Amino acid sequence: MYSLRVTNVSKHYSATPLLQNISFQLQTGEALAVAGWNGSGKSTLLRIIAGLVKPSAGKVQIFFDNEPISKERKRKLIGMVAPSLAIYEELTALENLEFFCRVRGIPHNREKCLDLMERVGLCEQANKMCRNYSSGMIQRLKLAQALLHNPPLLLLDEPGCNLDSKGMKVVERIILDQRSFGMTVIASNEEREVEYADRVINLSK
Amino acid sequence: MFALTTLIAVSFSIGSFRIGETEKPFLYAVLLWIILVFSALSGLSRSFVKEREAGTIDVLRLSARPQAVFLGKLFFNLTLLLALESIIVPLFILLMEYKIESFGFFAAMIISGGFGLAAGTTVVAAMIAQASARGALFSALSFPLLLPLMITGIKGCERAAIGVGVTGWPEVKISLAYVIIMITMSLLLFPLVWEE
Repeated sequence: MYSLRVTNVSKHYSATPLLQNISFQLQTGEALAVAGWNGSGKSTLLRIIAGLVKPSAGKVQIFFDNEPISKERKRKLIGMVAPSLAIYEELTALENLEFFCRVRGIPHNREKCLDLMERVGLCEQANKMCRNYSSGMIQRLKLAQALLHNPPLLLLDEPGCNLDSKGMKVVERIILDQRSFGMTVIASNEEREVEYADRVINLSK
Repeated sequence: MFALTTLIAVSFSIGSFRIGETEKPFLYAVLLWIILVFSALSGLSRSFVKEREAGTIDVLRLSARPQAVFLGKLFFNLTLLLALESIIVPLFILLMEYKIESFGFFAAMIISGGFGLAAGTTVVAAMIAQASARGALFSALSFPLLLPLMITGIKGCERAAIGVGVTGWPEVKISLAYVIIMITMSLLLFPLVWEE
């Protein structure tokens, strides 16, 4: 069973503190929402958990059966969707997923990619160039890309960004499915997205 | 485009007839390497900057091993450089009437030099992708790294043109040693650059 432990994480840029002593734990099957005003550090906290940004203090650890997981293996356990994470616009949606399958060393990639495209409702546009995608379709593709390796830890930064009601249902389904085998951290201000979580951390306080 | 413009400017302003026969092997080698190095400096910095500008750099950081990214970018830069060399070098030989006595040694020098240029610039391109004054920083950081390779390349091309002292291809060996050192060091250091 996987667990995530965030201990006294702080982040400051120059002298300005952004996050101060954030601590929480998460177990497989749980979902946590991180709420807060714009600029409160929600995205930064998710980036710190993903290992994209180093915290100024504190640490983020992932455990499997109480054994800490190495930095190298951590990459294989995290799937992330965020506005700052882009996809290759010069490729088709399917090519994007196949590329990331190859990069991650996932075998039998075409079937898996088509499955995921269907799951996020993009199957009919699989061979369309991503530069011709709408922002909602790009968000769906980002969700598919984050799920390629069935990550035990799913980090969703504004998951409903640009999505219509059908797209929101896809997000809801993904978060519910994730509960059966992993953990989810959602950073959002949208009430509907926060409701998917069991617990909420408010960074505005 | 930079390489082609420089080559045409050099061939028109200097040409083959303004340089004495004895100075040609050395001066042509210098001109050729200046064109190759500065073309590499102007083009190869883009490999990581493009990922940053497109916003794909963090997706790569999340999904790929740093060494895999480095080798992929190295291969891309190498392909670009070899394509550039395959256009520029024959044109240079043609326009400047560059006479080469030991053609095999010359070709090996140019190819190994291309490997060296790609190896030397790839890790610097990753370092400067985070910075704001990328162009100036790339040249400032790359130049000291590329200087030994450039000097070796000039000496090797001069020898190839004269056809004296080419036994054992000494400059090609130095150039290959440079490539091995640069790639080994880059593979060790790249994860530190890549993971902030």
